Amino acid sequence: MKPIRGWHLGAVLALLAGVGLGLVYAWTISPPRIADTDPAALRADFKDQYRASIAAAYSATGNLPRARARLALLGDPDPIEALNAQAQRMLASGTAGANADQLAKLALALDDERIGAPLPTPTTAMVEAAENPEEIVTAILPLPPSEVPIGPTEMAEIIETAPAEPVAAATPRPTRTLIPTLGAPFALTGQESICDSNLPDGLLQVLVLNANRRQLAGVEIVVTWDGGKEQFFTGLKPELGNGYADYLMTPDETYVIQLARGSDVALGITAPVCQTASGENFLGAIKLTFQQP
Amino acid sequence: MTSNRWIFIVLALLAGIGLGLVYGWVIDPADFFDLTPDTLRADYKADYVLMTAEAYRVEQDPGRAARRLAIFGTQSPSAIASAGLDFARTNGFSDADIVLIQELVTALQAWSGIQ
Repeated sequence: MKPIRGWHLGAVLALLAGVGLGLVYAWTISPPRIADTDPAALRADFKDQYRASIAAAYSATGNLPRARARLALLGDPDPIEALNAQAQRMLASGTAGANADQLAKLALALDDERIGAPLPTPTTAMVEAAENPEEIVTAILPLPPSEVPIGPTEMAEIIETAPAEPVAAATPRPTRTLIPTLGAPFALTGQESICDSNLPDGLLQVLVLNANRRQLAGVEIVVTWDGGKEQFFTGLKPELGNGYADYLMTPDETYVIQLARGSDVALGITAPVCQTASGENFLGAIKLTFQQP
Repeated sequence: MTSNRWIFIVLALLAGIGLGLVYGWVIDPADFFDLTPDTLRADYKADYVLMTAEAYRVEQDPGRAARRLAIFGTQSPSAIASAGLDFARTNGFSDADIVLIQELVTALQAWSGIQ
């Protein structure tokens, strides 16, 4: 075969140069008009707002299939993780408001759905207990499984759908609204005293897990004591785990701890008195673990 | 090199440019990311308005709904919601969803009037 030389080579080079010029023009100088994009192409902060709106809508309607379909549009590799991470960021930045709770609630619902568990919402007794701390002792007695109040379950509400026009084809339009059922609250699965002089005195550590043992961020914890009440949230120290939260207890004070969304109540929590190897007293820590059954 | 050959080279260049444009505009257009919500396709915008309306139904806070819609930029919240309502009416949204958006539009129009 004769080698390409002279003007033939020039023609090939001109063709390649033309392709290069065309690509530069098409991709850089005059790309197609930026319109008709999808939510996955949004900037990260707008994705956060989009996600927060999805969570707010879910919080209002309880329509989990619709929320899941909407989240899928954002293209997050793990939507549950994205929701939890955003809840954490909002809590850490102090801009949470109700949004972090809505995000965490949606993450929890999706996670529960994945493992087939009922959606957790506080039982009436738990809500009343949270609102009336003085009545906590009587409200917290865990009911036997058969007596756990179960609300109306799976009341599917049909939402009509019509054949979508081509432009609307990608809009998620699930057809059923599932009303969250009254599910089992979080159970107090662990309570241990920790005598470690390296920890701050009187440290209360709380770990919140779902039924799948995944740590949950943005869960509100209510701590009450004689004449006082305070709330704190999981996820503010992500280096210690998404579901971790802690609180410093005052010596000689007795606390009652529960999750705001409904849980067993840890009663009579006080900082344990420990001794160092040299016989010196110090206040130890308490670690509580709440988990969905 | 004769002038015919130069013409052939120029034609090859033009053909290359044409191929490059077809590839860059049609076959594999540039991917965009970090975009603003005003670039969203109309159905996504309408669905976002519906989300806002769903939340508004419970929250009853037009200011909060307006802040949610403000991500679309230059238009007023009531205009954004109205556009969503128009889309919903003409694209087969369910009656329940249309009612929700209608409530939001009404609330935002009233809210705009007292701002």
